[in-house]
Amino acid sequence: MKMSDEESFKKIVDMLAELKDTSEIMMDLAYSSILINSKDLANEVQELEDRMDHLHTEFELLVLSRCIKPEESKHFLGLIRLGVVTEKIADAASQIAEVVLRGLEPHPVLGLAIKQAEETVTHVQVSKKSRLAGKSLREAQVHEETGMWVLAIKRADKWLRPKPDIVIEAGDVLIASGYAGGEEELKTLATTEKRPHKK
Amino acid sequence: MVRFERIKYKPVPVRELLIEMKDISELMIDLAYSAALFHSHALAEEVLELERQVDTLAYLLDMNAMIAARDAKDAESLVGATVIATATNKISDAAGDIATLVLREIGIHPIVREAFEKVEERLTRVVISPHSVLIGKRIRDLRLASKKGVDIIALRRNQGLKINPEDEEKLQEGDILVARGAPLGVDEFEKIAEGTIRELESR
Repeated sequence: MKMSDEESFKKIVDMLAELKDTSEIMMDLAYSSILINSKDLANEVQELEDRMDHLHTEFELLVLSRCIKPEESKHFLGLIRLGVVTEKIADAASQIAEVVLRGLEPHPVLGLAIKQAEETVTHVQVSKKSRLAGKSLREAQVHEETGMWVLAIKRADKWLRPKPDIVIEAGDVLIASGYAGGEEELKTLATTEKRPHKK
Repeated sequence: MVRFERIKYKPVPVRELLIEMKDISELMIDLAYSAALFHSHALAEEVLELERQVDTLAYLLDMNAMIAARDAKDAESLVGATVIATATNKISDAAGDIATLVLREIGIHPIVREAFEKVEERLTRVVISPHSVLIGKRIRDLRLASKKGVDIIALRRNQGLKINPEDEEKLQEGDILVARGAPLGVDEFEKIAEGTIRELESR
């Protein structure tokens, strides 16, 4: 069945948004995998890379299957190129994660960097009684309360980008980075009803 | 034509170079998409400027890594850093590709752009004018995040670039700020920087 013009446009937009989001999450996760030397995170990146390859092909086929009028060709070229960019970012992220998977131990250089900046990456699951559950990321004020920045949110087996409007649900796993001191405060915020001590 | 400068060796710790490359390339991605969505030549030019900076850092990183390696063990532990640096440079190139699309007027389809504008946060690049109430204020005192939903993500002053500038930083006339946030808050922030809105409180 042939899709209507409008339907296929909507699909193109949705797919491009997914390509963009996925590539950026991969980037966040790849750097985090290096910082905490986590093969789990690095493997997630590789899995997302497979998904990207598949999505990207589907996206290109969809754009090409439209009957493009000559005057629109530049606009569609722009779309195809944006798709290529997301793919390039995803490839780079996967190369970064590969360093962890090969056990290349980037620690002498990068491990020190974390210590110097006193920065750490942590993950914490949001419990039902947490004050975060049901709040949008903007309302949750995680950074103001704990000094930690949320890098990514894992919900069931999906990764979400931490956009301000996204509503945190109980069971979500937050991956966050920041000064080491904020880690405990984030745990308090995510697992209890209490507010962390404000500094 | 772009003129390529010769890059002279300077001793800089590899980790510092890597962190700087990472921070800049991430900022570039955000700037580049915003440039494409809002068709902003100013943002696109900023991206290309940053790309040149990352290129220079990449050369420096390789040179420093080469000098740091004394034996096979060093080489093994440093190769990870150079692989990551190469990938990071690739990310900054990707952002540069988007900026080039904007500057060559290839653009993206207007309907797609509209759809993205609705869901994406906006990014802006503002110069603090002599009339702005921002002058002399510390970033902390502006309370932009809670009042307007806007975050200052970079500060450019006298050629230097600070990503996620400190809360204590005092703003000066001529500072270039990159800020991110909800469209309404960003609009208002632009006017505050220009000096056409003279108060910080929401109306």
